[in-house]
Amino acid sequence: MPSKKLDFGKSFTELEEIAEWFEKGEPDLDKGLEKFERAMELAQVLKERLKQAENKIKEIKLRHE
Amino acid sequence: MQIMTVSGFLAYVNETFKAIWDTTEVAIEGEVSGYRLSQGQWASFDLKDAEALVNVFLPVWKLNVPIQDGLRVRVFGCPRVYPKYGKFSFSAERIEIAGEGGLRKALALLHQKLEQEGLFDSARKRPLPRFPERIALIASRESAAYGDFIRILHERWGGLSIDLYHVLVQGEGAPVQIVRAIHEAGRGEYDALVLTRGGGSLEELMSFNDERVVRALFSSKIPTLVGIGHERDITMAEEVADVRGSTPTDCARRLVPDRTELLYALSHLQEGVSETFLAKMVEWTEQCDDVVLKASRWVATLSERITSMIRLFQSFDPRAVVKRGYAIVRDRSGKVRTSIKGMTTKDKLALEMRDGTIAVSVE
Repeated sequence: MPSKKLDFGKSFTELEEIAEWFEKGEPDLDKGLEKFERAMELAQVLKERLKQAENKIKEIKLRHE
Repeated sequence: MQIMTVSGFLAYVNETFKAIWDTTEVAIEGEVSGYRLSQGQWASFDLKDAEALVNVFLPVWKLNVPIQDGLRVRVFGCPRVYPKYGKFSFSAERIEIAGEGGLRKALALLHQKLEQEGLFDSARKRPLPRFPERIALIASRESAAYGDFIRILHERWGGLSIDLYHVLVQGEGAPVQIVRAIHEAGRGEYDALVLTRGGGSLEELMSFNDERVVRALFSSKIPTLVGIGHERDITMAEEVADVRGSTPTDCARRLVPDRTELLYALSHLQEGVSETFLAKMVEWTEQCDDVVLKASRWVATLSERITSMIRLFQSFDPRAVVKRGYAIVRDRSGKVRTSIKGMTTKDKLALEMRDGTIAVSVE
């Protein structure tokens, strides 16, 4: 179980940024390897998150004034 | 003779009015003048015609139409003397806008006023977050709109936390409840605030044209999404919202992405990264090969230079000279001597020749 709650938006944006970084073709092998691994990890986690089906509904009672 | 107290008298008068006045069938028609709200709880105005005037008051939560000065209205209620000040007024239960198209005219006036204040400016519209997680939903839990909205949300997305603020969406008290829900939701940490209901007649949708509701939405710190079932008329609540959904279902679609589409987008991104990375790897490998090739060429040139240098050094080797018939003269300490200076008889010397060294002495 992941200890920290996934910020879907942040992670998705990070993945998009990595894809863009590769598109630009930066010539750095070390960074490239690191970013590739990060991208695969993000895609995996995000896909897992998409499997989550439940939506929680809670009714909030209006306070009387 | 009967003596009454002032309080008793007014109570008697008020009871008499109540007994004789039909609050549902009799209405007073006149023009609104001096309309005002006090303490956010009471609305009052003068209802007048050419010759007369009567003060009307009612609790704000009973207001069901947009009242403005100059508007012709029909007021249902009961005459009443307010005991504390002995003031005669008409306590309203319900107000209708008089004349054909009266309601539309009133709404048009209100719309014009709010538009001039900039409530509908598109420049101030905020986008909804791309992936919302916490949602404040203001709707009636019994409505089809609520059911549709939730169903489509489930179909498209998961992991949402939805707080339902159950409210009346039409009739008496609905605007007040909706405003309260908007304010309470404003205290929570939400990514979006959704207000929705099914379609209805213009009269049924009055809560969504209520000035208080429109202003509360306008002041919301949370981005707002408002959608009402298919209607010809767009309500002002929809107009003031950051995003408008055409139906409750459309609201759900605008609020969350579709997981199938997103899975596709994710796979696309993943493949894109993999392919580019692979292409990069090939490129990098080629670059490395190139470097190795260049390096090996450099090594070859270097070794040639070294060989020729060795040859040069070899040409200076004194042993090569000795081979040609010369000898190297050394003194006793092994130092090479090239001059006779300082040499005396009997000095021991060593001659180094092609095949060995021989000791000699000076004569």
